[in-house]
Amino acid sequence: MIRCENLHVTFNRGLPTEKLALQGIDLTIPSGEFVTVIGSNGAGKSTLLNTIAGDIKSTQGKIYFDDRDVTKLPATRRTKDIARVFQDPLAGTCGNLTVEENMSLAYGRGKRGTLASALNNKLRKVFKEQLSRLNLGLEDRLDSEMGLLSGGQRQSVSLLMSALQPSSILLLDEHTAALDPKTAALILDISSQIIKEKQLTVMMVTHSMRQALDHGSRTIMLHEGKIIFDLASKERANYQVKDLLNLFAQARTDGAELDDDKLLLGG
Amino acid sequence: MSLYAFLGTLEIGLIYGLVAIGVYLTFRILDFPDLTVDGSFTLGAAVAATLIVTGQNPYLATLLGTLAASCAGLVTAWLNLRFNILHLLASILTMTALYTINLRVMGKPNVALIMEPTVLSPFEGLGLPDMYMKVIFVAVCAIVGGLLVAWFLRTQYGLAMRSVGSNKRMAQANGIVVTEKVYVGLALSNGLVGLAGALFAQTNGFADSTMGIGTIVVGLAAVIIGESLLASRSMLVIVMSCIVGSVLYRFAVSMALNADFLGFQASDLNLITAVLVALALVFPKLRNEWKAKRAIKEQI
Ligand SMILES: Nc1ncnc2c1ncn2[C@@H]1O[C@H](COP(=O)(O)OP(=O)(O)OP(=O)(O)O)[C@@H](O)[C@H]1O
Ligand SMILES: [Mg+2]
Repeated sequence: MIRCENLHVTFNRGLPTEKLALQGIDLTIPSGEFVTVIGSNGAGKSTLLNTIAGDIKSTQGKIYFDDRDVTKLPATRRTKDIARVFQDPLAGTCGNLTVEENMSLAYGRGKRGTLASALNNKLRKVFKEQLSRLNLGLEDRLDSEMGLLSGGQRQSVSLLMSALQPSSILLLDEHTAALDPKTAALILDISSQIIKEKQLTVMMVTHSMRQALDHGSRTIMLHEGKIIFDLASKERANYQVKDLLNLFAQARTDGAELDDDKLLLGG
Repeated sequence: MSLYAFLGTLEIGLIYGLVAIGVYLTFRILDFPDLTVDGSFTLGAAVAATLIVTGQNPYLATLLGTLAASCAGLVTAWLNLRFNILHLLASILTMTALYTINLRVMGKPNVALIMEPTVLSPFEGLGLPDMYMKVIFVAVCAIVGGLLVAWFLRTQYGLAMRSVGSNKRMAQANGIVVTEKVYVGLALSNGLVGLAGALFAQTNGFADSTMGIGTIVVGLAAVIIGESLLASRSMLVIVMSCIVGSVLYRFAVSMALNADFLGFQASDLNLITAVLVALALVFPKLRNEWKAKRAIKEQI
């Protein structure tokens, strides 16, 4: 379970460029729930995921995993609970290490590295098995440098890597955005398989309304650092892509009106 | 080249092989350009020599020289990690401070070790002429050092360190504490360099406050030469190529200095080194550009 209480994040506090990226997020995601997150550019989606992962410190509010308060835990100490896949295929892997070395790192996620050998034949077998699920022929390229793989291949491996170590939470930030439609579909497919298999608690950010409605069981919409819409499974079943788009448009115009007000007051 | 000069060149090349491995760890593995080594080479030598002169066991003295140099690396890492000082600048600060510290440690600009016992003493008079024995001793040191580092880089811990230099965000997302790896890496790197300094002082019979000047460039030259000769993904080959690169560099320099028609003097060493490193850095780039140009021409 993930619980955010009145979560605030402010960038560049006190400077002219001050940005209220999250403004009081209250969110509870029960164990095993798959939530899709939508919202326009700059709404705070990535900030929310990064704050939950510990990359960004919250300026106010609390974060709990189950009943543990993790607000003060650094990112590295949350990795026992959290696996992630980033939007940028280059971000989730080390380009100048081999495929198997990358997988070995992910295999040790959240554990202290020892002076035992990072690779052995038993591990290679596990990695090969996993890679063969992708049907990309990567199982024969364990010792290829990661940087030689295409973006889609790298992203596929990142996804498998996120599942090598047990975790309870999976954070996906537009993890198919940089891929061609076919590869994106494959990655989404495998994501769903892994999520089901491991019964993960998932937050998936996406810009595709279709994906947002088709995956998971709940959809939230962020706007200017706030959750402006929270669709649970029952309601959501009646929603079409065009309904979501309407919500989007509404959020935009509301925002525009606010801006106009500001202008009037400021003038 | 006389046999004596040949063995001397080989010996220095092997000792600086340890420096090259240290430089490889910071520049290549951690992506942390560290100039501390100019100071930590001397520190290793100064601490070892001073302790030996005061009657300490040479092996203990060498160990303490190595540890002192490791601490210098920790200081650089601390300045960078704790206060966000740019890595290059942090290392220049430590290096500058070390110049004074080294003079203080020795109490004078240089310490002679001619008549003192050294790490080599137990092997003297075993029937092997000293000049061979010295080369074999430093070769064993360099190779054992190289094997240990290559082994380390293949462990879980070593792999985590490599990921830190490659992609910090990925490392962190996998629970790797970046700062810890940087501290350990800099301590290890400078420790190797300090060990090289301590060995250099004992095989050459002195420690001098200026002996470390240019260590970084020599180490870098060795790394680059090694890389361009032996392109490999195997950690063992890569680490050993640092030693090979260092030895080749020494022979290249000594040939340049000895070739009468070039008219170099011993004092031209730094210029030769800088030109060699620049060439080694520029050459792969130029080669790629030529290749690209040719490919374009062929397409047309
Ligand atoms: N490190 C930072 N420093 C300052 N401002 C930031 C920083 N990171 C994000 N922001 C700002 O915070 C706001 C929210 O950014 P965020 O990346 O969370 O948006 P997003 O919803 O993920 O958008 P997108 O759909 O474009 O990925 C944006 O206005 C952004 O400019
Ligand atoms: Mg984003």
